[in-house]
Amino acid sequence: MGKSHISNNIRKLRFFRDEMTQQQLAEKVGVTRQTIIAMEQDKYSPSLELAFRIARVFEAPLEEVFSYQPENELT
Amino acid sequence: MSFQEKNIAVSLSTFTVILGFYLIRIFQLVQSESFNSTNVFRLWGIIALLAVIGTILATIFTHIAGGIVHKVRTNEDPHIEDIQDERDQIIDLKGTRVAYTFSSIGAALSMLTFVFGQPPLVMFGLLIFFGILAQIVADIWRLNLYRRGF
Repeated sequence: MGKSHISNNIRKLRFFRDEMTQQQLAEKVGVTRQTIIAMEQDKYSPSLELAFRIARVFEAPLEEVFSYQPENELT
Repeated sequence: MSFQEKNIAVSLSTFTVILGFYLIRIFQLVQSESFNSTNVFRLWGIIALLAVIGTILATIFTHIAGGIVHKVRTNEDPHIEDIQDERDQIIDLKGTRVAYTFSSIGAALSMLTFVFGQPPLVMFGLLIFFGILAQIVADIWRLNLYRRGF
């Protein structure tokens, strides 16, 4: 439980999208703001479908939004 | 606190009160030597009604009160996110799994009372006790998942 192995750049990408709010992103991808908050804090790894929806909102490839770090590489 | 978290907190509070009420009533029945099938099954009915009606009323009241407090504090209309997204569903399922596990263990323990020569009423009493307790444990587990992540 706790930190996930999947990290993301959602906060940074929101900033570069004219400081898009968490609520705006949540509405665009069809989840609650709490889920966006949990993802930004690496407390929740989204489903593949949600990950693609988020990447599509930012018009970025999936790898630019999410990255995977195996357990033995976590510091 | 999100809409779903509030619902879980309300459910947790309601079931804790119901458990307290149930234990007090059982204690009173045993004290007054009226621990018989009529009284125990009547108590079952009361508990079931309380669980359904109490949770619904408490949830409605909490959201109305929360909305009023929000309006007074911020002078904005409350925005209720009453959708259940994938994270809420996963947390709900994980909580349900904990509830099933806990109530299954409780049912097995209740059956054990037969081994010790206890009457069936004791088993029925313990069954509903573990049922309520399973709901409480599941709600705590769900709140924990919301707070700590998974």
